Amino acid sequence: MIAPAAVMISLFFLMPVILTAIFAMTNMSTATGISGGAWQVTQGAVNRLKTAMPELANGIAEPRFVVDEEGLAALEALKLKAGFTTELRTSHMGEVFPSRREAERVIKALKDRPSTREVKQISDLFNRSVLNTRFETRDELMASLKKLGFTLTPAEQDTVAKATYTGWVWTTENFRIIGNSPDMAQIFLNTAFYVSVTLLLFNVSYALFLAITTHYMPASTASIFRAIWLLPRITPVVIYVLLWKWLTWDSGFISMFVGQFGYPPKNYLLDSAYNAWFFVILINGFIGASMGMLVFSSAIKAIPQTQFHASEVDGASRWQQVRHVILPQLRWPILFVTCYQTLSLLASFNEILLSTRGGPGKATEVWSLAAFHTALNNYTGNLEYGLGAAMALVLVVVGIVLSLIYLRIFRYDTLISKPLIED
Amino acid sequence: MTVLPILKSATLAAVLFASTAVFASAKDVTISVWSGGSGPNDNYRTDAFDIAADILEREAAIRGEQLNIIVQKTPYSGWEDFKQALTLAAEAKKAPNIVATGHEDIGPWAQAGLIVPVENFIDLDSWPISDIYPNLMEITSFNGAVYGIPQDAESRPFFFWKPYMKAIGYSDADIEALPAKVEKGEYTLKNVLEDAKKMQDKGLVQAGYGFYPRTNNGPDYWQFYTSFGGVMEEEGKLVFDKAAMKRTYQYFADLVKAGVTKKNHIGMPGDQWWKEVATGKAGIWHGGTWHYARLVNQEGLKDFFANVQFTLVPAGEGGKANTLTHPLAYLLMAGHTEEETQIAADLIKIASEPRINALHAIKSAHLGISPSETKVDLYAANRWASEATERLLPHANAMPNNADFGKYWTIMWKNFEASWTGAKTADVAVNDAEAELKSALGAAIIIR
Repeated sequence: MIAPAAVMISLFFLMPVILTAIFAMTNMSTATGISGGAWQVTQGAVNRLKTAMPELANGIAEPRFVVDEEGLAALEALKLKAGFTTELRTSHMGEVFPSRREAERVIKALKDRPSTREVKQISDLFNRSVLNTRFETRDELMASLKKLGFTLTPAEQDTVAKATYTGWVWTTENFRIIGNSPDMAQIFLNTAFYVSVTLLLFNVSYALFLAITTHYMPASTASIFRAIWLLPRITPVVIYVLLWKWLTWDSGFISMFVGQFGYPPKNYLLDSAYNAWFFVILINGFIGASMGMLVFSSAIKAIPQTQFHASEVDGASRWQQVRHVILPQLRWPILFVTCYQTLSLLASFNEILLSTRGGPGKATEVWSLAAFHTALNNYTGNLEYGLGAAMALVLVVVGIVLSLIYLRIFRYDTLISKPLIED
Repeated sequence: MTVLPILKSATLAAVLFASTAVFASAKDVTISVWSGGSGPNDNYRTDAFDIAADILEREAAIRGEQLNIIVQKTPYSGWEDFKQALTLAAEAKKAPNIVATGHEDIGPWAQAGLIVPVENFIDLDSWPISDIYPNLMEITSFNGAVYGIPQDAESRPFFFWKPYMKAIGYSDADIEALPAKVEKGEYTLKNVLEDAKKMQDKGLVQAGYGFYPRTNNGPDYWQFYTSFGGVMEEEGKLVFDKAAMKRTYQYFADLVKAGVTKKNHIGMPGDQWWKEVATGKAGIWHGGTWHYARLVNQEGLKDFFANVQFTLVPAGEGGKANTLTHPLAYLLMAGHTEEETQIAADLIKIASEPRINALHAIKSAHLGISPSETKVDLYAANRWASEATERLLPHANAMPNNADFGKYWTIMWKNFEASWTGAKTADVAVNDAEAELKSALGAAIIIR
């Protein structure tokens, strides 16, 4: 019965992780594209080649179009109107043009009036330079360079190919950027702060508080309270966050309320980093608390009533019941909630994206949100898939390490060991 | 009895067959157009293609061809989602035929092979392309090829709320002379800070409303770098001028320190900002020529010229007054048949004709792309278009088309925001930016 589990694990966990790892080892971005690149001698490539191969760089730095026999023969082979070849041969043979535009002006003026597409086709045939031409393969570029009189050694070819390649390459640079950037360090600290505070205050402590207090309530009152605390989770997140925005905007409820006492309106959500964190943690905490509440409540329900009765007979106070009856039997659920919520807080960013967008000034930018912004969504449209994937991979590693630590702290091995009594 | 149904279906089949035959001789072409940053006033960015398609169909009919163009329009109001959607669609080979986007996308998209040079399909020496301002055509070129046809032009002025300027001691004549003073560098960003402070001290505007900048990242912020003497690119290489960038970061930190700009201004709700500048809650602010359209059409600022003065972005220390033009361009996306792309290119050419482009220019308060457009009645009769063209456009810079510019911008902005909100001092922000630029761009950027 191991096969279905193995298939599931490899499909939904290993494959994404492996793909992320592959992306993380590249410099893939909007500019390099995903599917691969071409070889193009751009001005930038010429600049890059200037130190290593100055002679070549100078030789290929200028565009040059020449009407020559070779081009005319190629033109004849294209089988466009015969007039083109004849007129070019009689009137323009040997002419040299320093730019494509100038060459094309002459071609356009031919008596047979080539169309714009034909003009391009013809001018390509007389192109005696490689500048700005896009070569789909490396060999095409090398062949063209050879035609121009540059015979390169394999090592030189590598240098040229490297300088002119437009696609992505394998690199470990992303991890160096992550390791060295002060901003990344800040985002890492933000994330640690956000996850630990939300987890400790809300997802575990507050959830535990809700579960225990509702446990001591009459059943019907308890379910009303639990239902109320479920609202943040069952409300669509966009609407839920919008409600918080209405509360905190300049023209929102808090501003209107304190305005009655003469305070000028302000945007409480984004007023300062402290405010932003306060609300970000509340927004996430209220959602997270409900999950822990449900798990803990049902775990408390599973404790045999006799234990409560017995402890009451022994004169235990509520606090002593909590301390000695409930908490020891909640170790497993607390481990589960801590572990699960750590991972979910690490990976989820939609509430932050919708409320502060990581602001003010990147103050509430957490790791997963930064990865999203880097790889998929930013104003300049410069999507850095490689760097974003590397950031995501860091998150995977952090998640696995934290899970292992939790298992150790909560002594998972004793939790799953066979009960002694049944031996 | 059985003959009738057979006859019926045979007739039906014949009719169906005949109808497909008719359709087959007609050419159905679907051309999809996407545009970014297009609000309710910018509908002609895509709607122009309805008009262009109609004309092209008629031209084809006269030549004896039956051409039926279906234009699919997808305008996006923002930029982030638009660029994400478009980039990913293009990578998945589902790109639209035409896209209207900021010219700065040409660099990375051309390198990735997502777009094809428009000059492969359009004769640049033919009308109306030959008539487009040469500097705009320059802005849409990359690696020696013209990749896009400018769709609009604009520039980004400073705005002053006239009643408050009067209240702090400017006469009508002073206000009238302000644009000239700004242009000559006699009224600088320092004066902006002082006047904003005066307005607040007099209780004309609330704290943080003296100078009320753009609420999110945008090309606008490069203008301040230019005002403080910065240069974005030189001879194909990006330039990071540390001193100029520091003065820029410091200026916004100073604005916050003086209390005339809010520390948490960035990220505030955009709608609120619009409402406030339209109703005189802010003293001095900056924006783009297209703000005129929104202020007057959507925000109810009826008498714009009586209430608002506009100028170039004033000079700061070490620089001069300037403005930035951020033309959008129509680009041809790769991955379509040559025939489709040729039709798309023909449509772009028609949509760029003065009368059609003027619809967009005037409705959205952008500036025209060619001299003859300024002579179209609709354009010539519009006070805003003619005054803004004359006062601003000659001083306009543009962001460079450089495949690495997006990286530079992201790093520049991140630290801009950090120093603005006080998360970093201007010194630290500039040093962090320098360190990150060095590691991200290496020799591709000149740091000085």
